[in-house]
Order: sequence, then C-alpha cells, then structure tokens
Amino acid sequence: MAADLRLPAPRKRSTDLPKEQGKHLVAPGDVITTDSGFMRGHGTYMDDEKLVASVAGVVERVNKLICVRPLKTRFNGEVGDVVVGRITEVQQKRWKVETNSRLDSVLLLSSVNLPGGELRRRSSEDELAMREYLQEGDLISAEVQSVFADGALSLHTRSLKYGKLGQGVLVQVSPSLIKRRKTHFHNLTCGASIILGNNGYVWIYPTPTEQNEEAGGFVTNTEPVPLSDREVISRLRNCILALSMHKMLLYDTSILYSYESAFHHQIKDILKPEIMEEIIEETRRRILEQEG
Amino acid sequence: MPVDTKRLRGPEESQSPWLFVEQEQQSPPDEREDGRRKGQVDVRPIFARCGLVSQAKGSAYIESGKTKVICSVYGPRETERKDETDMKFGRLVCTFRFAPFSCAKRCGWIQSTQEKDLSMALLGSLHPGLCLHRYPRSQIDVSVLVLENDGSALAHAVTCASLALADAGIEMYDLVLGCSLRQEGSDYLLDPTFAEETQEPATESTENRGGMMVALLPSLNQVSGLLCSGDLEQQPLVEAVAACIEGCQRIYSVAQRCLLTAVKKKNPPPDG
Amino acid sequence: YLHVALLFWQQVILCHCTLDDLRVDGRSCEDYRYVEVETDVVSNTSGSARVKLGHTDILVGIKAEIGRPKLDRPNKGCLEFFVDCSANATPEFEGRGGEELGTEIANALYRVYDNERSVDLKSLCITPMEHCWILYTDVLLLQCDGNLFDAISLAIKAALLTPSKIPKVQMMEDEEGTTEIELSDDPFDCVRLNTENVPCIVTLCKIGQRHVVDATLQEKACSVASLLVSVTSKGTITCVRKIGGGSLDPESIYEMIETGKRVGKALHAPLQDILNKEESLGKSREKVGFIG
Repeated sequence: MAADLRLPAPRKRSTDLPKEQGKHLVAPGDVITTDSGFMRGHGTYMDDEKLVASVAGVVERVNKLICVRPLKTRFNGEVGDVVVGRITEVQQKRWKVETNSRLDSVLLLSSVNLPGGELRRRSSEDELAMREYLQEGDLISAEVQSVFADGALSLHTRSLKYGKLGQGVLVQVSPSLIKRRKTHFHNLTCGASIILGNNGYVWIYPTPTEQNEEAGGFVTNTEPVPLSDREVISRLRNCILALSMHKMLLYDTSILYSYESAFHHQIKDILKPEIMEEIIEETRRRILEQEG
Repeated sequence: MPVDTKRLRGPEESQSPWLFVEQEQQSPPDEREDGRRKGQVDVRPIFARCGLVSQAKGSAYIESGKTKVICSVYGPRETERKDETDMKFGRLVCTFRFAPFSCAKRCGWIQSTQEKDLSMALLGSLHPGLCLHRYPRSQIDVSVLVLENDGSALAHAVTCASLALADAGIEMYDLVLGCSLRQEGSDYLLDPTFAEETQEPATESTENRGGMMVALLPSLNQVSGLLCSGDLEQQPLVEAVAACIEGCQRIYSVAQRCLLTAVKKKNPPPDG
Repeated sequence: YLHVALLFWQQVILCHCTLDDLRVDGRSCEDYRYVEVETDVVSNTSGSARVKLGHTDILVGIKAEIGRPKLDRPNKGCLEFFVDCSANATPEFEGRGGEELGTEIANALYRVYDNERSVDLKSLCITPMEHCWILYTDVLLLQCDGNLFDAISLAIKAALLTPSKIPKVQMMEDEEGTTEIELSDDPFDCVRLNTENVPCIVTLCKIGQRHVVDATLQEKACSVASLLVSVTSKGTITCVRKIGGGSLDPESIYEMIETGKRVGKALHAPLQDILNKEESLGKSREKVGFIG
C-alpha cells in the first residue's frame, strides 16, 4: 500500500478538443433563425418573429420543428423508457419513485405484478401490505407507462424483467449518455448483467441463475456474492464511470469493449486519469473499427 | 466572536494572581499526591445520586474527589427542528458547561469552543447507548454542568449523564460509563486530578504524554466514546485504552447501586 | 445531487465487499483513492493548498498575522481554525446544516494541530506576553465525497510545508522604552516553519466486520462508527477520536489504531516527495487552479 499522491494534471484547453463538425451550438439568448416558417420546440422561445435559444446546447431540427438539446439535463421520460429508480415514499395505493427527473415518478399499486399472478384483484390487504413489497430506499427497475401533464412519470413493472432489484451496484451518469437501444437489459459475456436505465441510473448485478429468477419480484437473497462475480461488477462499474467521464455513449458494445481494454489493469487503477485515457482511446478505436 | 450583551462585563482581560505563582511539584516517584499509585487502575471513590433536580425529568449528581458534576435531562418532547432523520430516530441534544467558578481560571458565560467540543464528545459517547429509535420525532435534552473541575470532568460527565437519562426513564441498551487517563512516560495516571491533567512535563523531551477519555457500555463491552490527544506510541496507547476500560468497569457497581436506590425510593414497599 | 441513502441490499453487498479485501471501486481496505495536491494557489495567503481526493475538494489558506499570545501560553504562538461548509459543496449544508459539521471538524483540528508536539509554537512567538504570530487556517470545503478529515489534514500539512511567507521581524526599542516591530524589507527573508511533526489524519470506517480507510460517501453511509487517528511521520499517534453515532468493540479499536498508524505513517513520505517535486519544477509548472 502506498498512497498515490500527485500534482494535478493540466486540464485540456478547449482548442485541444476535437472540433465539432456541422453542429450548430447555441447559448441562451442566441438567435437561431429569423425565418418565421419554423415551429418552436423545447429549449427555445419566440421573440419578435425571431426564434431564440433558452438553453445552451445543440440545435436539432425535425422538419419544421426546431429545438435545442441542452448539454446537461435531468431525465425527460418518454413512454416505453426503461428506468431504474429508488422508492422515496409509500403512499395510499402508490409509491413515489425518485428517477432523476424533475418531479418524483409514481408507481401505482395497480401497475405492479403482485405475487400470485397477473389477474389477481387488488384487495385492501394488498394496500396495507405495500411496504412489504417495496419500502423506502428500495431500488426498482420499471418502464414508463405514461407521462402526466406536469411532466411527472407514471411507471409500471408488469413484466417479469422489471421489479425490485437485489444485490448489485448503482452507478449514476448523465441521462444523455445512455444510448437508446431495443433492449436495456444485458447479460454481458463477461459474467455480470446490467440494466441501463434511460434516466442515467445504471444497475450492475450478478447474472441471475435460473432458480433465482423464479423467486418472484419481491424476494431477494442475502447470500454473499462470490468474489469472482464482485470483481467483474467492480471492473464494470469503474469502466462505466470512465466512459461517462469521457462523455462516451453507454451501450452494451461500448461497455464490453472498455471492459476488455481494461482487463489487464488492476480494477482500482481504472479510475486513474492516465490509465483511464488509455482505456478510452482503445475503446474508441475499436468502436470506430467495428462501425467501419 | 460572540459578544455577551446580557450581562455586565468585567475588564477585557483579567487574570488570577495564582497563575503567576510557580508551582512546586514534589511527589514520590510512583505515588500520586492523593496517595493513589501510578500505573494502577485506581479510581477515586465515587458518590452518585439520582433525582436531585425536581423540575427535570431525570437528574443525577456525581462527586469524585473534588470533581462535582450535575446533570439534568428534559424530554422526550416534540422536536423543534424537523428534518428527515428526526422522523425515524429521536434527536439527542447535549450541552456541556463549566460553571464560571469551576476551574482555576474563571470561565465566561458564553459557551467556549472547548465546551462545544466536549458537548460533542459527550453526545457521541451517549448516542450508542440510547434506544433512540423508540422516540421518533422527539428530542431529548441533556445538560451537564460541572460545578467543580478537579480533573476527568468529561468522563464523569458521561457517567452522570447516563445516570440522569436512566433516571428519566429513557430506554437504553446499557449504561454509559466514562473514565479518563493521563499518560506520563511509561506510567499512566488513571482518573487524574486537575493538577495531574495540566502539569508541565518535568523534562522537555518526555515522550508518551497525553490525555484520554474512554466511554464504555459495560455489559455489552462496547466502546462508545474515545477521545485522546497527546504524543503516544501505539503500544502505550493500546494499554491505556485497556486500562480505561477496566477503570469503567470498576465504577459500574456504584452506578448500578445508585440507580437501584433511586428506583426503590420512587416505589416504596407496599406495606409502607 | 447524489443520494447517499442506501438501500439495505446495497449495504449488504458493500459489507461483503470488505470481506475479501475488494471494495466496490476495486480498492483494498487500506487503499486511498489517488490524491491531487497543489500548493500556492491563492496569492494573498502565507501558504495555501488545494487537495482533491476522489470528488472531495478542499482548499486551505493560511494567513499569518501578529497578535497577542494567549494568557496561559505567554511564550507561544497559536493556530486558529475555521472550517466553512458552504452550501456550494452539497445542498445539505444550506442554512445551519453545515455549521455543526464545521465546528466538529474545527474542534478536531484544534486537538490535532494546536499543540507543541505538532507545530513548533515557540518559534511563532516574537516577544513573550506581547507579540506572536497567529496562523489563521481557513478550510474551505468545495466539494464533499467522503473522507473530509484526511483530505483536510493533507491540505493543511501541504499549506504549512510550502515556503510560508512569514516575514522575519525584529523588535526595536527606542530610548523612551517603546518597542517597535520592524519587518524585514526583503520579501524572501522568511521564516520557514518546522513541519516535521505535523501529523496526518487517517479516518477508519468500520463496515461489517472490517474497517476501511478513505471511505466514499456510500461506504460512510454503511458504517456506524469511525475512528479518527492522527499520525506523525515518526509513527507516533497524536490524536484518536471516535466519530459517528455507533460504538466499537475494544478489539476492533486496537486493530484500527494499528492500521491507522501504519497507513498514516506511510502518507508523509509521498506528500513530501510531491511537494519537493512541485518546488523543483518551480514556475515552469503549469498552474491548474480551480478549473476542471
């Protein structure tokens, strides 16, 4: 053991950064267009026939609609998004869930699968036993069912893949770094599974064995996870943090590539700046190669 | 700097003439001024009594040598500050004060940083002993006043406060007992007096000097408070902690008896 | 905004992690995260340092001013500590929230540093009973990510170690018997403090059956009690203090003192090395400061 003390590395100057090509970047107050033929989208406002940006970010155009995607944002959920969230409050017939969005999301008692099958009626006993299923502090994975008028999300867990999360590690990254894919549940070949929540919460957990899966959504085991599994989880966690620090999109391939490039390093070294850069370079190269 | 606007104040700076008198110290090599021996678990006899302050929910008084400590407990009552942690657990508030005349040098009325520090140490020592989860949304106030400080004030304050809490009927896992120690070279002085606590070293280069306070949950054998400063090697430090733990165990029976007496007083036998 | 509240299962995995000496981020129980140290970051101070440990970010400025010695220590100078927990660091510090932590840290610092053994206070005395140097040590928490005490102690030691700009002074007495303080004209004619014995703090957090050094916020949330141990470069222990609401059994206290001493002693040499390196680089080194 020797503490690793160092002088801070000089930060990269903005001129060193790779040039963003063909992207229209704006700051709040910048005029995007004076053409009145466009429609006002998120992140913009109209001022005397001019379309002005209200956030700093990238201008995006879909046909006649112009919006600005901010560089930093909380999660704006859409129907069908996979999220990982934390129960903050148990209320009557509903749970409040923190999902990194502006307002707390809601999980109705009627939108969860209770033990005993899909078609069971929700009785008043179920209402009283809500805390037994999920209590404050529990983590869940869920899907966005609908969006309320004020932007709050309503979630559901009516599929066997959603529900209460057992042992694992949570990593919080920016929601814009999660690449939208067909599936956000991955059983990675390296020996662990991962849920990439659209809200920027990433859950890494040991790949469940058959028998565990049948136990239903609300029972978790406290058996220690074997060391080999935990090593994989820790390595994945650090890789994901490294990717997010370098603003790389997170999806199964990028995570797997970074995991493989990090494999010959010690787990704790992955987060050291110089080694992180090395890993990221390698990952970037491989992704480019693959994309051709 | 907080300024006291409520009282007439004396001159900005004044000092007791006794501070300028050179103190002579002549004690036999292994004997202490009050006849106790160095390097032995030798605590001063303790007098303890519960229920002296009739206004308080619970109170206790402890006298050990010339050190006199009084403590009263108010609550549990509805907490004033409301944040999330208060909802599940009770809040314990400790105030540790020296009476202005308790020390050699007069203390001010405003709580000094030293008193704040000791209040926090007291809080940390008492906290593990209490079943605070039984008192959600409520607050328990403990105030300790040192009437006379002749060393080991914090240690006795811990014992006294836990007796007062028990007297107030607050649910506790165990009593909390405190014991102080002064390390001088290879010898240690258990339950030191004020003079022993503050004496300057005979020689400049004496190593292994320092003061320590240990708070113990005696029947669970858990250390709930540890506060030590000085210049100690690892070995003497570990031995000192062990000596303090033994010192705490020595006063356990006194504390128990004091509480049982208080309980008996409150519940007179049915025929009487 | 990072949520520290952990759910029970995550605590379980964190506890298991300490069993095999593998923590969630891949470190062993006695590993520190890498530390970035930079000194002389604020020009108005007599000595200043900034330390980054994970996301914990500490800025320490020391200002030397002339004042009166304390009555009970007429021939010694003194150190004054002030810790500012501004709401910048985490929203929990807003209002009076940070005050309690601030006093707790400041009080611990008094115990650790303001004594003859840590700093040569006699050399700070100019004339007994009349004038002495008071070192005002202001600690600013810019960001909190666990293990504040260790980071603060490294920053204070670094700030004290830099060529402190305490000018040499002489007492001049004229015929009428009034004394005058004469400051040396040469700005490089400075007193350098003897900082050999300035201790470093190691905080050990008890998690499950073991203890870890340099706990992250999540790890801290899982631990009931921690032990603060301050150790000099020679390996003598100058302060031990239990912090947190829980209790510890005697055996683990002895083990923690042992670990604390070993780890703390090993911190001094790398710190000295890095400061020597920084001094030898002199002006050629690119200052990093606060950006990034």
